[in-house]
Amino acid sequence: MSAWELGAVPAEAMALWCEALGDDNAIHVDPAAAEALGFGPRTVNPGPTNLAYLLNMVMEARPDREICSIEAALLGNVLAGDGVLARGTWDQDTCDAELVVAPDNVVLRARIETDGRDSDDGEGFRSQRL
Amino acid sequence: MDHFAIPPGRFLLSAGLDDAIRRSCAAPQRRAKEAHPVFAFVAALGGMGARVGDVCRALGLAFDEGAVLGRCRIDYDAPLTVDTGYDVAARVVSLERKASRRFGAADHLTLGMTVSAAGRPHARVSLTTIMPAPGPAVQAPA
Repeated sequence: MSAWELGAVPAEAMALWCEALGDDNAIHVDPAAAEALGFGPRTVNPGPTNLAYLLNMVMEARPDREICSIEAALLGNVLAGDGVLARGTWDQDTCDAELVVAPDNVVLRARIETDGRDSDDGEGFRSQRL
Repeated sequence: MDHFAIPPGRFLLSAGLDDAIRRSCAAPQRRAKEAHPVFAFVAALGGMGARVGDVCRALGLAFDEGAVLGRCRIDYDAPLTVDTGYDVAARVVSLERKASRRFGAADHLTLGMTVSAAGRPHARVSLTTIMPAPGPAVQAPA
């Protein structure tokens, strides 16, 4: 079992993510827009940011591994100020991970597959497996 | 949706941006030149030749009514590195209307992107954006 925690999601970080993502959805930066659209009076964390929390957990738990693939379903929203807990169970190289908003609301589930760092071709590219 | 073309684009993954994104999400420090793996997603969406909102609007979808990310899949061919420029090719994979507990009916738009450097793919990304369905049903692609 792996776990990673963030006490409060920062509202001010959402603008940076939106700029990097080219995402002009107002729910991420304007609390009034989020409230008008039924998300409540706090801005909504961009989905990729929530995914990054799960990846942080995997990187901290298995720093010797490289991430090969991610399959994720976003089930709910994380709002500015929410505390989040990433947790995952491992079966060899595969982590079944979820992101939870207190008290126990699962908002993201993902299967993250990893591989050793010694299987690339010397240029960072993985060998093709037959 | 084969008739709807998204222009190719480019994403410059700077060390400064990787640092800022890592700080914003309390990520571990970078190892050598390897960027945070979430940059496969960030580069795909941020580097394609049109903003995702503009793609949705051009398709007549209600992006501004509260679009959310529904699903994604990322396959990595190689880690993304900082101070590297990536080419992004994107296409509309599917557009479907489905029943929604939240919206009554919702449009699910799936985009497929490839993030490459020097002609070699580093990541293949598929993501589905969900929006409330406006007006009459959208015709699903063949």
